[in-house]
Amino acid sequence: MIDVQDLTKQYAGRLAVDGLTFHIEPGQIVGFLGPNGAGKSTTMRILSGYMPPTRGRATVNGYDVFHQSLEVRRSIGYMPETAPLYTEMRVKEYLRFRAELKGLSGRALSQRLAEVMDLCMIADVRRRLIGHLSKGYRQRVALADALLHKPPLLILDEPTNGLDPMQIRQVREILLGLKPTHTILLSTHILQEVEAVCDRVLMIHQGRLLAHDTPEMLTRRLRAATLVQIEVQAADKALLAKLEALPNIRKATLDHEDGGWKKISLRVEARQDVREAVMELATAQQWKVREIYRQMPTLEDVFVELAASDLAR
Amino acid sequence: MRILWILLKKELRAFFVSPVAYVVLALVMVLSGYSLRAALSILERGPSEGSIVQWIFQPNWFWLSYFFVFPLLTMRLFAEEKKMGTFETLFTTPVRTWQVVLSKYLAAVLVYSVLWMPTWFNFKIVDWITAGQVIIPPGSLTGSFLILLAMGCFNLAVGCFASSLTSNQIIAAVISFTFSLLHFLGGLFIMVLGRKVSETFVDIINYFASMEHIRTFTSGLIDTRPLVYYTSLALLFLAFTHQVVEFRRWKP
Repeated sequence: MIDVQDLTKQYAGRLAVDGLTFHIEPGQIVGFLGPNGAGKSTTMRILSGYMPPTRGRATVNGYDVFHQSLEVRRSIGYMPETAPLYTEMRVKEYLRFRAELKGLSGRALSQRLAEVMDLCMIADVRRRLIGHLSKGYRQRVALADALLHKPPLLILDEPTNGLDPMQIRQVREILLGLKPTHTILLSTHILQEVEAVCDRVLMIHQGRLLAHDTPEMLTRRLRAATLVQIEVQAADKALLAKLEALPNIRKATLDHEDGGWKKISLRVEARQDVREAVMELATAQQWKVREIYRQMPTLEDVFVELAASDLAR
Repeated sequence: MRILWILLKKELRAFFVSPVAYVVLALVMVLSGYSLRAALSILERGPSEGSIVQWIFQPNWFWLSYFFVFPLLTMRLFAEEKKMGTFETLFTTPVRTWQVVLSKYLAAVLVYSVLWMPTWFNFKIVDWITAGQVIIPPGSLTGSFLILLAMGCFNLAVGCFASSLTSNQIIAAVISFTFSLLHFLGGLFIMVLGRKVSETFVDIINYFASMEHIRTFTSGLIDTRPLVYYTSLALLFLAFTHQVVEFRRWKP
């Protein structure tokens, strides 16, 4: 669906995107991840045909973004980062205008308008001026606009930016609902969002591609130590030392004590599970355990590690 | 063609839902009302040379205030879209740059044409009140409105160009106002100097001096040269505007 070869964009001597190469299969939801200023928006603008790359090429739905711009624009629904809208128009009026531009007309247009307004939950504000809407509503009007012509590819630049937790959940549900028929490239810096909806993750940092994989594979690849937390009741003075004596535990620290219950964090070597060994030790020593919990590494950890190694290079 | 029509409808609506069109309309009505009053006072003084059409359109002050209309109508067109970021949504739908430029320009020309309706009505009112006693030469009238339209087309194109250069409406207004006024005053200034310079030089200057065009058209002489002159300048500035807007797509 998207094919990007050595894509580079330079702004006044500064590299915003630096030799990106990736390929996105149809039917996937791809999370485009990176800190602010990593080059996500720039890449999306190039893919949507809004600006040309300095070097390299990109094809969307088989069309070249530069030479076949109109065909590319017909196959995408693009939602820019700030959700720019004509503030002097009313919601329905705006969506009608956009639908006409995208080639819809007559009954099909009215029907589709009602559909997307329902889907994005903006039907209740259809007569309001866009300028008077809250950020959350504007964001969803922009999303509705991107969906209007049922494009095979959606390029959404931070679609949940500025939404409250309920609305974020609703947008996620909308995206998951679109999945069977659409390919979606969405940028975000909220990692939980990627973990919740994305099949693939593209991580970029300072314009360079750090990783392109499934969220599970990325966290599995993580080299950093993981964390196990236990809560025990034991009078034993040498508690921490005994835990540290177990294989694969780098360090045990007492976080917090509450009426005899001690909360202890164990830093564990990567890809090792020490929970069974800890339980056996506790049973042997007759410690009471009321919780044992392994913290899974998050994409955040992956990202921090990859970005650090990229900087070190 | 369909896309152009959709865009044009949207641009026209934008003019009339914002106060801009009404403010400019009020300005023009005050202007033409005052011109009418001044012209009628000439009539009161007794028989004099010329026609009421000339007395309304020829005084310099009328033309000077007239140039405020163009920045007001055009400053918003491109600058606002740039500032709001709506170009990004607009140009990621299947529209071509020329369709966007032309729709904005045509909307401005249409609104501008509407602005002169009250002035045209003024003539009708004079005709009605004086029961046809005041002669309003039809050639003069046609000529006046024709040159108004032609100069408008040119100045609006300049305004579009100015608006496309910046995302700041004030800067767009200043550029457009300065350019339109310089063009007008340039011709005027050399006409005043005219007696001291050679004949051919004056002839050349007369070709682009707006004052000279106004003089011929308001007296009912419809000369195609100024019409061609203004139309081609308008096209030139529209082409410039197109290039400025399109540049985004090519900037490496």
